[in-house]
Amino acid sequence: MRGAKQLSGKRRSGVDPTRLEIFKNLFHSVAEEMGAGLRRSAFSPNIKERRDYSCAVYDGDGEVLAMGDHMPVHLGSMPASVAAARRALALGPGEIAILNDPFAGGTHLPDVTLVMPVYLGSEKRPQFYVANRAHHADIGGALAGSMGPAREIYQEGLRIPPVKLYEGGRRNDGVLAMFLANVRTPAEREGDLSAQVAACRIGERRLREIVGRYGAAETQRYAGHLLEYSAEMMRGALAELPAGSYSAEDYLDGDGVSGKALRIAVRVRIGKRAAEVDFSGSAAQCAGNVNAVEAITISAVYYVFRCLLGEEVPATSGLLRPIRVHAPTGTIVNARPPAAVAGGNVETSQRIVDTLLRALARVAPARIPAASQGTMNNLTVGGLDPRNANAPFAYYETIAGGMGARPGLDGASAIHTHMTNSWNTPVEVLEQVYPVRVRAYRIRSGSGGAGEYRGGDGIVRELELLAPAQAGLLCDRRERGPYGLRGGKDGAPGKNAQIRSGRARALPGKCVVEGFAGDILRIETPGGGGWGRERRKKKTGA
Amino acid sequence: MRIAVDSGGTFTDCVYLRDGRLAIRKVPSQPKNPAAAIAEALGQCRAERAVAGREALDLVCGTTVGTNALLERRGGRVALVTTAGFEDVLEIGRQARPKLYDFFVVKAEPLVPAARRIGAQERLAADGAEVTPLTARELRGIVRRVQRTGVEAVAVCFLFSFRNPRHEQQVAGALRAAGYLVSVSHEILPEFREFERTSTTVINAYLAPVMSRYLGETQRRAQEMWSGGRTLVRVMQSNGGIISAGRAAHEPVRTILSGPAGGVMGAQYAASLAGLAKVITFDMGGTSTDVALLGSGLGTTTESIVAGLPVAVPMLEIHTVGAGGGSLARIDQGGALRVGPESAGADPGPACYGRGEKPTVTDAHAVLGHFGGRGLLGGAFPLNTERARRQLEKFRGAFRTTEEFAEGILRVANAVMEKAIRVISVERGYDPWDYALVAFGGAGGLHACDLAGALEMRGVLLPCFPGGLSALGILRADVVKDVSRTVLLPVHSLGKARGELRARFRRLEGEGIRALAGEGFRRAQIRVERWVDVRYIGQAYELSVAAGGDFVEAFHRAHEQRYGYADRLRRVEVVNVRCRVTGEAAKPEVAKIPRAARAGRPPLAGELRCVFGGRAQATRWINREELRAGHVFAGPAVISEYSATTLVPPGWRARVDEYGQIFLAPVAKERANARR
Repeated sequence: MRGAKQLSGKRRSGVDPTRLEIFKNLFHSVAEEMGAGLRRSAFSPNIKERRDYSCAVYDGDGEVLAMGDHMPVHLGSMPASVAAARRALALGPGEIAILNDPFAGGTHLPDVTLVMPVYLGSEKRPQFYVANRAHHADIGGALAGSMGPAREIYQEGLRIPPVKLYEGGRRNDGVLAMFLANVRTPAEREGDLSAQVAACRIGERRLREIVGRYGAAETQRYAGHLLEYSAEMMRGALAELPAGSYSAEDYLDGDGVSGKALRIAVRVRIGKRAAEVDFSGSAAQCAGNVNAVEAITISAVYYVFRCLLGEEVPATSGLLRPIRVHAPTGTIVNARPPAAVAGGNVETSQRIVDTLLRALARVAPARIPAASQGTMNNLTVGGLDPRNANAPFAYYETIAGGMGARPGLDGASAIHTHMTNSWNTPVEVLEQVYPVRVRAYRIRSGSGGAGEYRGGDGIVRELELLAPAQAGLLCDRRERGPYGLRGGKDGAPGKNAQIRSGRARALPGKCVVEGFAGDILRIETPGGGGWGRERRKKKTGA
Repeated sequence: MRIAVDSGGTFTDCVYLRDGRLAIRKVPSQPKNPAAAIAEALGQCRAERAVAGREALDLVCGTTVGTNALLERRGGRVALVTTAGFEDVLEIGRQARPKLYDFFVVKAEPLVPAARRIGAQERLAADGAEVTPLTARELRGIVRRVQRTGVEAVAVCFLFSFRNPRHEQQVAGALRAAGYLVSVSHEILPEFREFERTSTTVINAYLAPVMSRYLGETQRRAQEMWSGGRTLVRVMQSNGGIISAGRAAHEPVRTILSGPAGGVMGAQYAASLAGLAKVITFDMGGTSTDVALLGSGLGTTTESIVAGLPVAVPMLEIHTVGAGGGSLARIDQGGALRVGPESAGADPGPACYGRGEKPTVTDAHAVLGHFGGRGLLGGAFPLNTERARRQLEKFRGAFRTTEEFAEGILRVANAVMEKAIRVISVERGYDPWDYALVAFGGAGGLHACDLAGALEMRGVLLPCFPGGLSALGILRADVVKDVSRTVLLPVHSLGKARGELRARFRRLEGEGIRALAGEGFRRAQIRVERWVDVRYIGQAYELSVAAGGDFVEAFHRAHEQRYGYADRLRRVEVVNVRCRVTGEAAKPEVAKIPRAARAGRPPLAGELRCVFGGRAQATRWINREELRAGHVFAGPAVISEYSATTLVPPGWRARVDEYGQIFLAPVAKERANARR
């Protein structure tokens, strides 16, 4: 029995399998608890209702020990934040770094990350870090919601390199004032930041309790074992795949500027207990905002390989030890300043996953689903709220779509897939807080690709503006539908439209609209691809 | 005569007063017809107590009928009437997937398929104003469309009905007139968040036919068994109070955690007898374990998920994990030892029950000698320890000995349960150090000391009837009616806000008091508690605080305790007002037991060899029936009784109190406990 052999190998090095499981649960519960605290004390619907945040625990070298079950795109990319904060700042006890610079540990500007070291006893360097990232509904810049078409990062909002939000145990009011002066909804931002700080402190407190109980040396020893344990799980999974080199490509519709499709290419080399993922051949970085920084690309690779592991494995950075990622600089999978990047995090990340899955479908056809919607359908709405003394408002949401069909299983409908898992904002919250009315929110039937197993259906969402407002759309898969596999049909591409006085006008995937009161935005999200050739006898929609 | 019945998966427990003393009776459950097992139990009680001809029967039931119907999808055929354009809200849910890293994740199917979801032309704005009126014609159309679906029950949920219930009332009226069993969202849960409210209302409609049948059958059989005496049937709710069978049939969604809620109530009573104010309840059965924290009163939540579906009516905050005596143990690919959530269940059961092929937690105990020599149920249920040993040996991987493997299994099972306890304590800002663990259920006593030790808790309380504590809790429960309204009232000044809330509370209270009067309570027997759900303006989650006094300051303090900060400069708002209206029941008490003739050690039933900490040790075997008040003994020991087994590890000491309850604490901690 293989498991037994590996175990005996480890027992010689003094790992107690029971204690390993205990520490796995302990670290995970720290991250989950941080998330619960953040959600419950946050102010913006995007964090408290949509749960667009993530929390994680790191060792003293910045390696991930545990991540909450939050947003996959954050989780794989947050180690870069911890690394950047460690590089840029000497963080003392009680100090907290804030950052969002995509070129220094961030991904796109609305995602603001807090990093806090945890010092034990009189040690000179931190033994752990805790960090959390939350998507703020506005971070300044040209367009309310900070997700609009831009040509340079300077237009996308306030860029924060790693700086101390808490210094010597006290809040750095200068940094906070600078931050709040640059955003449209400062009160909400300040509330959300307080919640992020509270989450850091919750994490710190829990880690201290664990160390208090098991001792620092034992806790750190098992932190190391956990990293190696996940690496070993990944090596085992890779060893089960047939060795060889597999490539694939897929495209983004365009960058919203030129309308030219953007290629993502990947070659996966599966070796013995190791893999190499090479994105050479991907499009050069573009003029629009769908450029991804390297952390996002790594995050997407991490996500895909983690899904290949059948078991519930601890989400540590050990998982990536057997995998090498090569993303050439200056491409849309590893952009350089001053590229605009808002869409890299939400759209390009999804396409990287699609491309990688397409390559892996050749290696492990029975385990890989057809393409899911492949976009997050980002919608921002901002303006002045006449119901609230014309105070500025900024709203952000992403809309779910169809999941790709799985071998042996239809794809789910109206669900977020791959790199995101944010919730919707309830209609009864949305209309209470913002001058909008939801006209319809339903499943887009028939949009999933046909096949032996059907792709899931997308969503139709109609939003009526009750006051003049600026709306931003950042969507992909509007030109080509998500691919089917093994003869399954592609899912239907998405559609955007603006309806004024009863007349609908088609909108491009990526655009900004100046809307009047009474205008309706209709967003139809893509269906998932089908899997396998459709059999005559099978009833559709079964 | 009042009799409480708890219908569990394996046994139907029945607790009642016999000659002024509490008595317990267990009969095998009949999952296909729970009422039959109840009738069987009633028959035995009646025979035992020699009930005179026409004594009235007051039967209170804890039931899993609702939970099981949900888990097994065996509810009624339901239609949903909702705002046009939002027919799919029930299916879209919150648009998130339940597992992140699983391509093959499956989302819970909605209880009502698209073909039976009916959109009504009507719409209210966020403030309750009418945007689209509901016409008489539309109303007639809705009834016709419902009739075409061939359903027995209907759920009605419109957007913003918690602000203005008129449209829902009109539709419900028309459907009731047409003969349907109707669940209406503003009656079931008049609170915001449309998906959660719709889901809760639909679950109610889905369970209504099943619950009506079960309660009707129970009523009929009880009546029969009681040969003509007056019988009154009532049901335990998930919030810890009981309601009439009639109300339970209309609002079955309130009874989903009926049985576990009884356990929490029983544990609360046991804790009060022992003089413990802060306890964590620990109910470990065959496939799952329920834990709850009792500090300042009973905590309730409105964010429960049952069978993958949200249930937003208040339930006692009970956290369930899939680890119990029947959980399977295995070594995974990376070399980690894992326990559960897969379970051997009742069939085939653990290896030592004679048929199971894989090692379970119970088998680990058997191998380590923890059950003594007599098996379970006072020897009526023999155990095959040799078979357990063989299965463990087969799967032990690189563990050196079977005993080491068995101890590993117990430690991992404990880790899972420890995490569950942390979720309800540490994760919410409560330190287990301040709490004692109340252990019950078939397996609670086998793990309690290890858990309490790991969490550095104060000790373990072993109540009387650990195997029937849920039924005891139900026997003593009050009749409780929870009523609430969403108000969304910003607080400018405390005085003004209290003034504005006064009228709303009066209306709510009136509603609750009238309901209890309908169940025969006089005003003097009715107690009212007022609560407000408060948050900072802009937040989405509220904290419940008592409405009396400075509730704003109470909120700041609660926020600080839970999230580590409070901002007294931020304005707060009252989201919901809640009343809990309680009709107090006469409560049977546990009687005191005789004092030991001389304090000190109890008589031994024998001596065992059990493995603790890797070492086989001479272990005292104690029969619980022989314990007297004042007895004290040290571990290692095994306490056997009819419905449970308890382990006292080395270094722990047990003290028997005047009610026969046992308090266990580490010897090293006894001095610290005495100072508290």
